[in-house]
Amino acid sequence: MSNRTLTLMMGFVAFLILAVGVVFVIAVVGGGGDDNSSGQPSSSDSTPKPKSTTGGICGGNTLVTFGGEPATLLDPIQVRDEATSEYVVEVFGGLVTLDLDLKVVPDLAESWKVSDDGKTYTFKLRDNGVFHNGKRVTAQDFKYSLERAADPANNSPTVTLYLGDIVGLKDRYNNKAKDVSGVKVIDDRTLEISINQPADYFISELTYPVGFVVDKETVEKDQRNWTRHPNGTGPFKLTEYKPAEVIRLKRNDRYHLGAAKLDEVDFELGGGSLLTRYENDELHVGAVPAIELEAVKGGKSKLSAEYKPQPRMAVSYLAFNLRQAPFDDLKVRQALAMTIDRDNINNVLLYGTQRVADGILPPEMPGYSEKISSYKYDPVKAKQLLQDSKYGGKLPRIVLTYAGAGGDAPEILQAIQAGWKDTLGIDVVLQASEFSAYLRELRKGTFQMFDAGWAADYPDPEDFIDKLFYSDSPQNEQGYKSDEVDNLLRQARTERDRNKRYQLYQQAEQKILDDAVIIPDFWPIEHLLVKPCVKNWPQVSMTVPKYRYLEIDNSKGK
Amino acid sequence: MALAPTAEYFPTEDFAAPKRWAFAKRLFRKKLATIAVVYLAIFYAAGILAPVVAPYDPNQQHVTVQDRRQGPSAEHFFGTDSLGRDLFSRVLYAARTTILFTVAVVLTGGIFLGLGLGLLAGYRGGWLDTAIMRTGEVLSGLPTLLLMLAISAAFRQRINDVSFWLQDNTFLGEDSRTFVKFTILVGATVPFAWIGTSRIVRSQVLAIRESSYITAAEMMGANTWRVLTRHVLPGVLPVFMVGLSGGMAGIAGAEVGLSYLGLGIDPPAASFGSLINDAGFVRTFQQYPHLLLASATPVVLFFYAWNLLGDALVDILEPRTTRR
Amino acid sequence: MGPGLLGYTIRRLLWAIPVIFAISIIVFYMMRLAPGDPVDTILGQRYDEERAAKLRAKYGYDQPIIEQYFTYMNNLFHGDLGVSTRHQDYSVKEVVLPKMWVSTQIGLFALLITFGLGIPVGIYAALARGTFLDPLIISSWLFLDAIPVFVLIPLCQWFFALKLGIVDLGYDGIYSTHMIMPIMILGLPGVAGVARFMRASVIGVLGEDYIRTARAKGLKERTVVISHISRNALLPMITIIGLSLPGITGGAIFLETLFGIPGIGQESLSAVLAPDFDVVLALVLFGSVLFVLANIVIDLAYAVIDPRIRLGAGRG
Repeated sequence: MSNRTLTLMMGFVAFLILAVGVVFVIAVVGGGGDDNSSGQPSSSDSTPKPKSTTGGICGGNTLVTFGGEPATLLDPIQVRDEATSEYVVEVFGGLVTLDLDLKVVPDLAESWKVSDDGKTYTFKLRDNGVFHNGKRVTAQDFKYSLERAADPANNSPTVTLYLGDIVGLKDRYNNKAKDVSGVKVIDDRTLEISINQPADYFISELTYPVGFVVDKETVEKDQRNWTRHPNGTGPFKLTEYKPAEVIRLKRNDRYHLGAAKLDEVDFELGGGSLLTRYENDELHVGAVPAIELEAVKGGKSKLSAEYKPQPRMAVSYLAFNLRQAPFDDLKVRQALAMTIDRDNINNVLLYGTQRVADGILPPEMPGYSEKISSYKYDPVKAKQLLQDSKYGGKLPRIVLTYAGAGGDAPEILQAIQAGWKDTLGIDVVLQASEFSAYLRELRKGTFQMFDAGWAADYPDPEDFIDKLFYSDSPQNEQGYKSDEVDNLLRQARTERDRNKRYQLYQQAEQKILDDAVIIPDFWPIEHLLVKPCVKNWPQVSMTVPKYRYLEIDNSKGK
Repeated sequence: MALAPTAEYFPTEDFAAPKRWAFAKRLFRKKLATIAVVYLAIFYAAGILAPVVAPYDPNQQHVTVQDRRQGPSAEHFFGTDSLGRDLFSRVLYAARTTILFTVAVVLTGGIFLGLGLGLLAGYRGGWLDTAIMRTGEVLSGLPTLLLMLAISAAFRQRINDVSFWLQDNTFLGEDSRTFVKFTILVGATVPFAWIGTSRIVRSQVLAIRESSYITAAEMMGANTWRVLTRHVLPGVLPVFMVGLSGGMAGIAGAEVGLSYLGLGIDPPAASFGSLINDAGFVRTFQQYPHLLLASATPVVLFFYAWNLLGDALVDILEPRTTRR
Repeated sequence: MGPGLLGYTIRRLLWAIPVIFAISIIVFYMMRLAPGDPVDTILGQRYDEERAAKLRAKYGYDQPIIEQYFTYMNNLFHGDLGVSTRHQDYSVKEVVLPKMWVSTQIGLFALLITFGLGIPVGIYAALARGTFLDPLIISSWLFLDAIPVFVLIPLCQWFFALKLGIVDLGYDGIYSTHMIMPIMILGLPGVAGVARFMRASVIGVLGEDYIRTARAKGLKERTVVISHISRNALLPMITIIGLSLPGITGGAIFLETLFGIPGIGQESLSAVLAPDFDVVLALVLFGSVLFVLANIVIDLAYAVIDPRIRLGAGRG
């Protein structure tokens, strides 16, 4: 080969190395601001992130926390999961909302009246309610939003679940009507909603995002992409969303319930070692991994003072498919339930940081009763029950499916599996299933036994007991069918006395537990760390708008 | 024809196969290589004899506060894991998994596909050569990990049916689940792995075919099989061995990586990947360093030993680069 | 470029087309073989048949696979890579490009470290042949190469961030001190391979006549090393560099996941698990095209550099 070509090539390589090196050095020395990798200008450039060099993390007025990747569009009618709700409840709002004590309180409705037969709700809208762009919120906006939710073309996954009680909504959803007859605009500030039968929990259902208000103009101007620059009514505006990287919210100064004190909230979606980053003063809110819990919770760590346990209004459980052998036999279910030593698992594997679930409804749930009880650990009785079952000692093969990528099953399941084997001599196979496949097979009822959980959508026992165990409910994956429970649930739906309703749910709950349809294991607690300079961090067991209450105390320094 | 880039590593002209004993002598003259061979011998012995050597049942849990995550002691050489299982026994069984996997891949992907197709492509040439090399190119162009994920997702539901059937109808019994997983894992790794070996073998075959003794043998009417086994194969084997020993760490590493992601071997079989995953987060390491050190060290040394051995073999088989 | 070379290039490019089609069909079919689809994930526990049917119609999953494939290919030729069902219907381009750019930059810097260190180390080892330094250097780098990255990362994070407290762990853009450790971890293990290759290459050149001539002429050893040995030994290195390039756009799954870097490796893992059909397909196709092209370019580069190599003249 010629010398010239070679020299050229060497020169090129050398140039490449030099160029890259120079760029890197300049960029690092020059303050490292240029990470705008998407190549598009973003509106957040003017509000730089708090740098540890400028007075510590408590210096600015931007809260940096971590969040989950939204599972659906940031469109209220598409929301179905907690991660997405977290952002949507901050950006949008509805007639009513939940406060930090999970009470239903006015949002854009200033007040409301319920008719004597309990079937008509009349909402009076506040006159200072505006969208982020300054436009006033009127009753017409609500009618538009609710009808948009019900429009079959929009395919909302939650509208029939939460708003199905509204007169005419299901007709609209099934394309039998052109509008929702139960939603009437009386005047600009008055909205009337009628429901099919009196339902005490209806007002709670309106706190779910599917009932939130959206601006017709914004939506129709850009049907496809309007959720990237949503025009909501919530305490914060969405300024930036980079998938799997960051969601930035900025304060809405004109928020009708009192503007937030923070300038901005950044949710980092990337993951990484949250605790280390928290300790490095990169985050205001961190999470404690299980391995550190013992030290943090026991006061042995310097982080103990910043530990904020956050009980969730949720329950995790193992469920039986009653349609499949051997779980058509109550005794087999009872035997398996009595062989799980939940207290020991909690103490050893979870460092005693979770709450063993004695029932289905978590303690935060209205209508929770301490009297409810599930089967206690009793290996001797379990062995006897298994012998007495119609299968005797000879069980068919049992597979327990959980959602996951595979490999070693979660430790809790492994421990439960070992317990069954040691005590009852049953070999249960643990089977991982990709999330999408898990959901599909769950619906089809092919699983014999599965690991599952349920988190509250709104604080009402109906959300747990009726949705999961009513024989015709689509979420009744256990195939449970009990006339007694069905009757109790039907009564509860129309019962207008709140305490009586709760009692009906409690009766149903106890019957379900006695039937060993599911084995509740824990009412989960999220283990958070919050910097001392973040003031007013609330303990709230559901996803509610909470960031507007927070403050960063600059005087505390680090 | 495409020039195999990997073949550059092994300039062909000077590739003379040394005599067997001289070869072994030269290998053992290298101290590091000797240590590597000894370590590998121990690793393989320990893995194969795991059921005999292991002091405890690797899956026997002791879920109590005292028994979990113990440090190393005379009772538990490597301590215990979060479920109170004996880590030393688990490591031995993980070594068994590594050994089984590498042997399976070497037999199928290395010898059968890699060597076989390489010989075929190089010796036959023509459209066969093109077809084999292009197929290899298609397969090696695929992102392996993404495909592994897709394959294991697609077959996961079926694994149960097959393994239960095997358990009931064959001699495999309890091992059938592991057997099925192994089959899938090997089946999903091998198609993407043979092309490298084939390329090396092929270019070596091409070089050998040029030499006069092959032409002579062909002219004398020796049949293809005879020419291949008597003349071509001995010339190819050293290169093949070097390639293989250099690639062993990569093959074993594939299983460890997949198991780390939860896509490899399922329990009850143990794997270094899942052991490391259990122990390998910075916070866990800070509190219980023995968990990561005990599960990672044996397999790191295994990779290292194969790397050293591969390096030594290159030196021995390629006179020009031999250290004086 | 001679006519032979041009013909060869065209032939190779033509060959690349069926190769890439084959890959696209395999992957397309494979993704749809799995029991769950994106609609299951989108609807989650709120699934009902009606809604699912509508969503499937929206994304075209209700069509036969063959038809879906042709629709996809047709869109692809019009520059439409589809939408990400996992990321709120953002287009695949919007999701993938920024992440790919992040991974590519990190990969380039890592590559720079690998070759920037590997080449001199290899030359040094070759010149130190016969002393204890040669095996020591090579075997030390080989040891680093033997540690899986998911073992190396917690060790480094613990030592540098927790024990010494000299680095931060969060992702803060590429051009930040936070990235030094991840880039090192990505780049350093590869040094062993490059150094070994370089060493062999230099030793090969050392035996050539013109080196002996140069030495005999009494040229300074440094001049000999720099101007003759390195230059000739570097040549084969181009292949290795070329072959490494397509890989870096694929990102580093373990590194990105453990450091929380929003790169393409992390995305591809989640995309397959979700599943997010269009994103996975785009990644696979992009990777394959790049791989095939790189192969062609390398072969061509050889032909240009070394005329002794006969292109396209397959034997027998």
